[in-house]
Amino acid sequence: MKEPTIVGFLCNWCSYEGADRAGDAHLECPANIRTVRVMCSGRVEPEFVLQAFREGASGVLILGCHPGDCHYKKGNYKARRRISLLRKTLGQFGIEPERVKLDWVAAGEGERFARVANEMAGTIRKLGPLDLS
Amino acid sequence: MAERIGVYVCKCGPNIGGKVDVDTIVNDVKDLEGVAAAKSHNLLCSADGLAFLKSEIEKQKLSRVVVAACTPKMYEQKIMRACEEAGLNPFLMQMTNIREQCAWVTPDKAQATAKARSLVMAAINRAPLLEPIERKEIEVRADVLVVGGGVAGLEACLSLAQKGRKVYLVEKNPCIGGLAARFEEVYPTMECAPCMIAPELQEVLQKENIEVFTHSELEETLGSFGNFTVRIRRKARYVNEEACIGCGACVEPCPVEVSNEYDEGLSKRRAIFTPFAGALPNVPVIDKDNCRRFKGEECRVCEQACPFGAIRYDDKDEVVEKRVGAIILATGAGLFDPKALPQYGYGKLDNVVTALQLERLNASNGPTGGKVLLKNGEKPKSIAFVFCVGRKEKEYCSGICCMYSIKLAHVMREKLPDAKLYCFYSDICVPKKEHQQWYDRVTDQGVEFVRSDGVVAVAAEKGKLAVKYGTGSPAGTVSLDMVVLAPAVEPSPDIEALAGILDTSRDDHGFFCEEHALMKPFATALEGVFAAGSCQGPKDIGDAVAQAGAAAGRILSRLIPGEKLALEPMVAVVDEDLCSGCRTCIPLCPYSAITRDKEKGTSVVDEALCRGCGTCVAACPSGAIKARQFTREQILAEIRGVAK
Repeated sequence: MKEPTIVGFLCNWCSYEGADRAGDAHLECPANIRTVRVMCSGRVEPEFVLQAFREGASGVLILGCHPGDCHYKKGNYKARRRISLLRKTLGQFGIEPERVKLDWVAAGEGERFARVANEMAGTIRKLGPLDLS
Repeated sequence: MAERIGVYVCKCGPNIGGKVDVDTIVNDVKDLEGVAAAKSHNLLCSADGLAFLKSEIEKQKLSRVVVAACTPKMYEQKIMRACEEAGLNPFLMQMTNIREQCAWVTPDKAQATAKARSLVMAAINRAPLLEPIERKEIEVRADVLVVGGGVAGLEACLSLAQKGRKVYLVEKNPCIGGLAARFEEVYPTMECAPCMIAPELQEVLQKENIEVFTHSELEETLGSFGNFTVRIRRKARYVNEEACIGCGACVEPCPVEVSNEYDEGLSKRRAIFTPFAGALPNVPVIDKDNCRRFKGEECRVCEQACPFGAIRYDDKDEVVEKRVGAIILATGAGLFDPKALPQYGYGKLDNVVTALQLERLNASNGPTGGKVLLKNGEKPKSIAFVFCVGRKEKEYCSGICCMYSIKLAHVMREKLPDAKLYCFYSDICVPKKEHQQWYDRVTDQGVEFVRSDGVVAVAAEKGKLAVKYGTGSPAGTVSLDMVVLAPAVEPSPDIEALAGILDTSRDDHGFFCEEHALMKPFATALEGVFAAGSCQGPKDIGDAVAQAGAAAGRILSRLIPGEKLALEPMVAVVDEDLCSGCRTCIPLCPYSAITRDKEKGTSVVDEALCRGCGTCVAACPSGAIKARQFTREQILAEIRGVAK
C-alpha cells in the first residue's frame, strides 16, 4: 500500500547533512519522506507547509540545527516560533497539529535523522492520509 | 519562450543504478512539457560524464539542466562549473539527491524508484523558475582598524603591517600596552612583562604604516566588509605630541593630586601625568576634569615648566575619518568588583587587595617601586590568596585567575621568603601544558592550599585580618596580614557602547559573541568585524595573541590590495515596489545586513553582509523579499513535485 507522503524541509547546514549521513550508513528511512532543501529552517514559511498539504502531503517535517547551533545564529528559533503558532492554527481548522513536526538534526546525526524520520512516518501512518475535502 | 530542460539521471554505477529503475524514470519524464532531453549516464561526475553533460547543453541548446545524482554537497560545484564552461549560467542547473536520500536508504526498488521519480519531478518543476545569477565582486580597501592597544591589538597591528597593510590603532588610554604593560612578571615563563612588551610597543609606534591614536575612541562606523568608514575621536591631550620629548618637567610642579587609576588607586598622580613610568608613547596628558585651569583657576605651572612649549591649553577634540576594509576589536576586559560581595571586606578593610593591586605593588614601575608593603608600611608576614571571587555570580570560570594567583604566590614566596602563604580555593583550574607544574612548584615552596566551599568572611581583628573559610567541613579561621582577591574577568564597562556603534552582538555574559565558538572564534557575526583577546571572553596573554594572529591572518587572506572581493551570490533582495517599509525584517537579520533607506522608506539588503539564510524572506508580510536561488515560487514548485 502506498503510504501518505511527508514533505521534509531540511536546512542546508545541519539536517540535510544529517540525512546524507543516514544515506552514507545505509540506514533505512521511510520512502514516503521527500526532501526540500532550504538554506535555514528560518526560511520555511507557514505557506510552504500549507502548500504541501494542499498538494497532497499528509505530514510535514521541518528539521533545523540544534538550538544554539544554527549556522545563521538564530534562524531555528525563528522557525520554532513560526511553527508552534502554525500548529495551533492548524488545530483550529481541524488538521491534527501532529502532522507538522519541527525537530533538530545535526550534520553528524545520521542515526537521529533516520529515527526522527521513521517516527514521523509512524505518526502519519497512525493518523492516516490527510483529507482536506 | 519555452524553456528547454535537459534531465540527466546518474546511475553512479550500481549505487543508484542497482537500487532505482533509472530507465523507467527517464522514460516517464522525457515527454513532459519543456523537457528537451532526458538521459541517464553511468557516472556523471567522471571526466566522461562532465564532457557528456557539456556536449548535451550545447547540442540540445538547453536553457535549464536537471541533474539527479548524489548529494549536492559532493559535486554541485563541479557540475555548476561544467555548465558554466558550456555557456550556461551555473545557477540554471538544478540538482536533486537520489543517492544518499533515496537509493541508499530505501531497500525496496519499486519504492526507491517512486521516490526518485517524485524528486526528479520536483526538480523539473523548479527548473523553469530558476534565475541566472551573476557573481558580483566589489572593490575593497585592505586597510584595517584595530580598536584596543593591548597585547592582542599589538599583535594584530604588527601582523598586518608586516604584510604592508595600513593599520589604524585606536586606544582609549593615553598609552598602549594594555594590562600586560602594568605587570612585573608573567606566567608561565616568569619573564619581565615590560621587557617582553616594550619592543612590540616601540615597533608599533615607529612602524610607518601603523598610525596610532591614543587617548582616542571609535565614535562611528558606516558601511560593511571591505568598505567601512570609521570616525575616530582624538580627545584633546593638551600636550603637543610632536613638540613633547617626554622629559616630565611639567608633572612635578602640578599642584593637583588625585588617585592614580593606573596604579589601581594605590598612588597619587597629578592632573598632568603619564600613567606609569615607561608608559608609551611617553607624552603626558592633562586630565581636564581635575586640572585647576580647566576648573577656572589661573594656573599655568605646567606650561611654565615645559622647556619645549608643548603645553596647549586650547587643544580641541578632533574627529578623524578613515576608510578601512576590516575592523579588529581588541578592547580587553574588566574585572568583577569585589565590593559586590561584602563578605570579603574589599574597599572597607585595609590590606584586602585585588590581584591587580598586588601586581602594581610588585611592579618596579608601580607605586612602591616593587616593594610589597602593608598599609602601615611593614612587610606582610602572611598573605592569603582567595580564588574564584565572583565566579558564582558570573556563572563561568574565567580560567586565568588560578594561574595568576599561583604566579603571585610564587612571586611572594621569592620576595618574602619567611611569609606564610595560603591559597583558599574550591576548585583549581590549571589546564595548559605549563600550568600544572607551577601548581606543583608552589606547593613544594610551602604555599598552603586550603580547600573548602569558599571564604565566607574576612574581618579586622587586632590589627590583622581573620579569614573564615568553609560552611561545613573543612572549615576554620586563619589570622593573617594581607588578603589578595582573584576577581572574575568580566566584559569591560565600555563594551556595550562599542557593540552599539558596530551593531555587533554580545553573548549571554556580555562579551563580544564569536561567529563560531570552535571554527571561527576570532570573527564576530558581522562580516569584516573580528574580535581578539579578552573582549571576546576571559583569556591569558598567549591565547589573546593567538586569536589576534588568527584574525589578522583571515583579513590578510581575504582583503588583498588590488583584488576584488567575491560576494555571496545567493542573497536576499528587496523589491522596492512591494516593500511597505514595516521594518519587520530589520531586527531579524543575524548579520545586520538590512537597513532602511530613509528616502525611499523601504528596506535595503547589503549584499556584502547578507549570507542568504532567508529568515527575512519568510517573515516579510508583503512577500517583498526574494531569496535568490530559494525563491517562494521555486520552493512552491518543488513542493508540488514532491507532495504528490
